[in-house]
Amino acid sequence: MRVYVNDQPIDLLLGMTVRHALLRAGLLSELGSGESPFDEWGNELGLDGALAEGARIYVRMRREKRQVENH
Amino acid sequence: MKKALSCFIRVVSFLVLIFSASAQGEVREIRILHVNDFHGFATPHRPFGSQEPAGGIAYLAALAEALRNEKPSLLLSAGDMIQGSDWANLFQGKSVVEVMNRMRFDGMVVGNHEFDFGQKVLRQRIGEARFPVLGANVEGLEVLKPYTIQDLAGIRIGIIGVVTEDTPVTTHPSNAVGLRFLAAEETVRRYVESLRNRVEVVVVLSHLGLYADRLLAERVKGIDVIVGGHSHTKVERPLRIGETVLVQAWEHGKALGVLDLALEGRKIVSARGHLEIISPALGKTDESVEALVLSYQKKVDELLEEVVGEAENDLDGENVRKRETNLGNLIADILRERAGAQVAVINGGGIRRSILKGPIRLRDVYGALPFDNYIVAVRLTGTQLRETLEHGVSRIEEEAGRFPQVSGLTFTFNPSEPPGRRVKEILVSGRPIVLDQEYVVATHDFLAAGGDGYRAFGEAVKSSKDFALIGGAMKGEKLVYSNPGQWLRDVVIEFIRSRGKVSPLLEGRIREGK
Repeated sequence: MRVYVNDQPIDLLLGMTVRHALLRAGLLSELGSGESPFDEWGNELGLDGALAEGARIYVRMRREKRQVENH
Repeated sequence: MKKALSCFIRVVSFLVLIFSASAQGEVREIRILHVNDFHGFATPHRPFGSQEPAGGIAYLAALAEALRNEKPSLLLSAGDMIQGSDWANLFQGKSVVEVMNRMRFDGMVVGNHEFDFGQKVLRQRIGEARFPVLGANVEGLEVLKPYTIQDLAGIRIGIIGVVTEDTPVTTHPSNAVGLRFLAAEETVRRYVESLRNRVEVVVVLSHLGLYADRLLAERVKGIDVIVGGHSHTKVERPLRIGETVLVQAWEHGKALGVLDLALEGRKIVSARGHLEIISPALGKTDESVEALVLSYQKKVDELLEEVVGEAENDLDGENVRKRETNLGNLIADILRERAGAQVAVINGGGIRRSILKGPIRLRDVYGALPFDNYIVAVRLTGTQLRETLEHGVSRIEEEAGRFPQVSGLTFTFNPSEPPGRRVKEILVSGRPIVLDQEYVVATHDFLAAGGDGYRAFGEAVKSSKDFALIGGAMKGEKLVYSNPGQWLRDVVIEFIRSRGKVSPLLEGRIREGK
């Protein structure tokens, strides 16, 4: 199964999840600093989420609700 | 007479008014509450990368009940409820079904992980459920219903359940023996056609993932709402594709989905929704659900003290990052045996604790293997296997977690050589490795996905073509075994239980030499 993480192709076994894709892309450790995976439509994804062939994942900072409300 | 006539006119006027209101479309409101991919996360937990506790089914239950009391509501689950945490797995999902019964769920669809404990257990769980469990595209498991029709304040709602066709490869294939997973799209089309004129609202409970849900909405007309799961997507506001509304509520009980529908006649004139984020910060719990969660948690704690076998010597989990250890040997042997592989390679860093001589308790194995890893096996060439071992010993100076523990092979390495040139002799089953020969190598999903920098497994996966399920096992060009439905530690526990006593030794599998 081929998916894309930040537009880089990543090959995974069927049944592997968002967590495996980020691991393969070397981005799993980024999540501790407030970043999260999102799908191509901007929805946040859980790390155990199933993937589909051709899925696109983007790792970026989460929108912090409190910060938004403070501005 | 005049009075009677006036009364008659008033009654007729009232009936006309009622009739015209109905004809013009009286607006009726209903609510769909939904969860998905709970995976037994009953107690609040700290998600990876977060400092704040999230979830907690007792908080979710209290909020669901409050929201339910505001208008006619359904509480639905889009699957993957009963497997995925100690709180669920140690009871093969029974604890989850009890909670769902107590919360008065109105229906769920099976997810692929509902099959993880085997069909016999799944039948038991479905038998215990006081709500319909759906699976319209599953043939061979008659306890699953294709759909349910629920009457909500006079509104008839048809709910069709479908699960991913990939189920046989996203649980252990043997769990799906004798079952057929039909194409979800064709199945849904068939049932929508059958239900459309019998109900006012058609809901698809989907364990297909958001990508597939979007396609379903595009291709099958007549679906009002898709309540989804499988991709663990946090759909903060309902999506709309054509006439279909799509929702999904993240994962692990961290959110409760709320979808409010307004109907005028048979037409949905408004669909508004959001996610309620669940955490202890909500404050209020459902006391009955909380009591059930705590009673099962107490049983978890008791079960972890259960003796599953005996270690006849100390099992070394301390030195796994710098040399062969007997615990590393034991675990690697179990992987190799379970996967039917020639060789097994795991990372020492995946073993976190020693197990002392004497009774082995469940807690000891959980402590030694705390990660939710599952076994996979792929074909590697001798060259790739050699690269794997080179990588494993490339940072031994730092005692990095990548240091390998192995089964089915022996090798020597020289730590004073530069990384990449350290591995010397490799013997597989006592014979020198053949670099252009393929070997079936068992490992776990973490390494297969490139964890600890291991690349060879990924390269093999990249070059692998399709695979097929033959006789309940996965056969493919490179992929030989994969069981996402059972954690490695549970396989180790099964092994120790079956043997009663274990006494692994150091065998000279990994030797330092010039």
